[in-house]
Parts: sequence; structure tokens; C-alpha cells
Amino acid sequence: MTHPDQTILALYAGQDLGWFRRRRTERHLASCRQCRNEVQAFASARDHLVALNELPAISWNRLAIEMKANIRLGLAAGECVRGERMASRLGLFGIFSGARALAACASVVALVTAGLFLERPTPPAPPAIASDGAVLRATANGIELNQGGQTLSLLHVRSVDVTYSAGAQGSMRAGYVDSDTGNVPINNVYVQ
Amino acid sequence: MSNKLAILFVAGVTALCAQETPLDNWVKINLPVDSPLTLISTDLGESHLSPRGSAVVLDLDVALTLHNSSPNRVRGVTLLVAAQEVTPGGKASVSVPSLDVAPNRNFPVRINLRLLRPAQMRGGPLVEVNLDGVLFQDYSFYGPNRLESRRTMIAWEMQAQRDRKYFNSILEARGMDGLKQAMLESLNRQAERPRLDVQVSRGRAVTSAAGAERAVRFAFLRFPDEPVEPVEGWAEIAGNEARNPRIDVHNTSARQVRSVEIDWMVTDRQGKQYMAGSVPASGPEFNLKAGATSRVLQDTALRLSRLANDGGAPLSIAGMTGFVGQVEFADGKVWIPNRESLANAQLLGILEPSPEEQRLMDLYRKKGPKALADELNKF
Repeated sequence: MTHPDQTILALYAGQDLGWFRRRRTERHLASCRQCRNEVQAFASARDHLVALNELPAISWNRLAIEMKANIRLGLAAGECVRGERMASRLGLFGIFSGARALAACASVVALVTAGLFLERPTPPAPPAIASDGAVLRATANGIELNQGGQTLSLLHVRSVDVTYSAGAQGSMRAGYVDSDTGNVPINNVYVQ
Repeated sequence: MSNKLAILFVAGVTALCAQETPLDNWVKINLPVDSPLTLISTDLGESHLSPRGSAVVLDLDVALTLHNSSPNRVRGVTLLVAAQEVTPGGKASVSVPSLDVAPNRNFPVRINLRLLRPAQMRGGPLVEVNLDGVLFQDYSFYGPNRLESRRTMIAWEMQAQRDRKYFNSILEARGMDGLKQAMLESLNRQAERPRLDVQVSRGRAVTSAAGAERAVRFAFLRFPDEPVEPVEGWAEIAGNEARNPRIDVHNTSARQVRSVEIDWMVTDRQGKQYMAGSVPASGPEFNLKAGATSRVLQDTALRLSRLANDGGAPLSIAGMTGFVGQVEFADGKVWIPNRESLANAQLLGILEPSPEEQRLMDLYRKKGPKALADELNKF
């Protein structure tokens, strides 16, 4: 298996690749965990840069810890698959990559054509849920309960990755790692 | 003109009054006299009030320091946060599971709350924080348990032990390289886990553009050791909205069941599965004796959309799958699926990781495999 170089992966993470290169890279990523990890590392570094513009106050220590963690993770991922990569470079089938790309392009064209026939239209975006009661939703930095124009939001401010889950009894939960304490607080907002 | 000036003057004075009100008066922390936790300090940090038109935004950044005054190690705590004047039907809670606080030790709990309310509101403390429950290492519990935090915290603790045992077994069998590999797999699963934007509302929701409503039947996943099995179930689907799930469950165990939680997945038209939420049933009206069948029913609407960075389009729901996520028996014991069952059903890549797995992943990311191994060897 021939891996795309770092520049291609970085451009892919930033969605800056041309159409053909992007499709080819996507096809490779579908079967290569190592490159997926690298793309993920690039994407999270990029997210940090975006976040720098948005945050009114930056915790440089926290940011440094996160970046170190991502670098450590990238190195560990590299270590784990280095052996596999060296072995795959010796494979004889790399010379067929052009033919495979051609076949893939033909498949993509066929898939898109079939998709145009088969795909049902996505329903239009409905208006906000109209109910007499309150509505719970996840926002960029917390869970918000909106009731008659007044809102209560439970925020997670010292975290990067948050997992949300909804409860059909009328609740929403956000779990995240507090980067200051290392604990995993779980915020829950309930509507009655 | 004079009326306008008067309105402006009143609005200005109101805003100034709101800004000048000491924030300490807005928050009240209540711990019972016999509580095993005592409040050491309350720090309101960067809390502030800011006017927004005729409303006021209150940003509360509360850092509590609690002290474990019991003879047992604390494994979890849940605080109930209420702002009745702002949202009469709403409340919130902050839980911290996966703790390991020895007797006579302090630990922090942070609450970050934002309230938007009319500027002219007056009254007592706006936010009240009450203790809902404390879980100890021996699964004993203290607290009023208004939010059923006992069951929830026991389930988290059981998940924590299950996941620690899993990573410990890998460390023992395959050493540090195996542990690293397992952690990378967990991180990879977490990064690739399909996610949705979900809105929740209680009661009958009415939409005009969601399309015709139809009853869709649940498909169910079964685990070999589950004490309660789902029999059949439906929900009303209209476009990207799923409403009023109702699921019949049968108690196959010899014990009475107090509560059941069915995890709910949806499938889009491309066949991709997502976690939509959970359908819990508990309380006095839910009584599932050994060998009996009962109905899990919720009067709720979920609206499902793709995430904003994935286009934000409404999700067209093609199918639904459910499985038993949690069972609490009348004697207070709790059942959760084991890790092998979740892996066999290919659910690890769809379910959110347990709080403990999240904590261990973060520890590995920030401090490396040695620190993780030390943590796993602690208990």
C-alpha cells in the first residue's frame, strides 16, 4: 500500500485538496487507520488555531497540554504501525495504483449516477419544534433549555471532546474531561 | 419624547442595579446537616452579570471545594442545580463519577451556568445547589436521590470497573504495546463515532414541514445475559422527528425490576447507525415482577439533524434499533451489558464511551502509557 505524503494529508485535513486528489485520498483513508490518525491530528491542530480566534481568554497551559497530548498520540500511532508500513512498502502491487484509480473513478461515476436515480430527496428543514413546553438542545459550549424566551444553559468550558446523549424522559446529558482536574463531569439538563 | 427618555432611564437604572448586585446573593449552596460531604469553599471566579436589551445574562462560574468527612472513599457525587424563577419546569445536575476521594480529603466540583432572564426580576437566590447523592466505594449511597442519581452513579461505577478490567487484562496479556494499541483503537472509535444533533421536547410537538407521520417498529439487539428482553416497540416518525417511543419489555429474571433503560439507535437512508438517546422507565407506575411484561413509554419528541460541520441537514430516519442498556432490580442492584456483548453486537463504535474510558483515554493522551498503567494498577 502506498501512503500519501504528509503534505497531501495536511491539505486533506484542511479540505484544500482538489476533487480528484481528495477522492483518491478518501479511498486510501477508508482502508488505512494510520493515515486517518494523521489526518485527525492535523485536523485537531487546525481546530486549535480556529479556537484561538474565538476564545476571549486563552489558557496557554491547557493548550500546551492538549498539543503535547496530540503530538504524543501521533508518535504512538506512528510507532504502532511502523512495522506494518515498512512491510507494505515492499509489496509488488503498488505499480497498479494508476489502474486502480481508474477503476475507482469509474466506480464513483457509476455510484453517483445510480445515486441520482435512487436517492430520495432529503426532507426540507422543518421549523423549530413548536410545542407548548420547553426545548432542550446542545449548543457549541453546553446544553440549553429554552422556556418562554428564558434560557438556562449548563456549560462545559474546560473541555475539548464532549459526548452528548438525549433521554426520552426529557433530558440531555453532556460528558467531558475537565482539562484542569482530569475528572469527567457529566452535566444533565431536564425538562418537565 | 419624554416617555422614551423615561423608558431609557428606567432601563439604564435596572441594568446598573443588576450589575451592582453582589453575585453571592444569586447562588445558595445547601448541604444537609448530616451530609458526608462538607462545603469548604465557594469561589465565584469569573462570574458576571451583563445586560442584553431588556434582559440580563448571568454567567456563573462556581468552583466548590468539598470535603469527604465520611469514613468511606467517595466514588461519585451528584449536585442538583435549580433556577426555578427562570425555568419553572427545568432543572439541571452536575455529576462527577469515577472519583476516588479518600476520607478527610478535599475535591473540586465546578458548575458553569448561564441564565438569560428579564432584568426586572427580583427575589431570593436565583440558583440553588443541593446535594442529590453521594456514592461510596462499597456501593452504599447517601442523598435524597430525586434525580435517581443512585442508579445512574452505580451504573457508571459498574462501567468503570468493567472497562478498567478490560484494559487491565490487555496490559497483563500483551504488555505496554498491547495497552497502547487498545488505547489508540478507543481513541479512533471515539473520533469516528457517528454523532447527531438532537433536540428534545416534552409533550406533543407539532410541525408543518416534517412530512407524514408513520409508526415505525423497533428492531432489537439481544444480549445473552440480559435479565429483561425487549418484546416489541414503536415510535411515530415524521421526517427527522421521532415521537412517543413505546416498548414492551419482558422480565426473564427471577427478581423484581424497578427500572429499565432501553438505548435507542436510528438508521439513516444510507444505512448508517447513530445513537439517538435512551428510553428509560422507572417510578411507582413501572413495576416489573419476575416473568411479567410491561411497557416503557415516554411522551417526548426527538428532532435529529446532522452536525453543523456535516451540513446540518435533517436526518431522514429509515429505521430504529433498541437494546437493553441498564436494568435496576428492586433490591437496588444494577445490570449493564458486558464489554464482550457490546463488541459482539458491534456497538462499541456507536455507543458513547463510559466516563471512565473517557478519563483513561485523556490520561493516556496527556501523560502516556506509563501513567495509564500506573493508574490501572491502583485498584
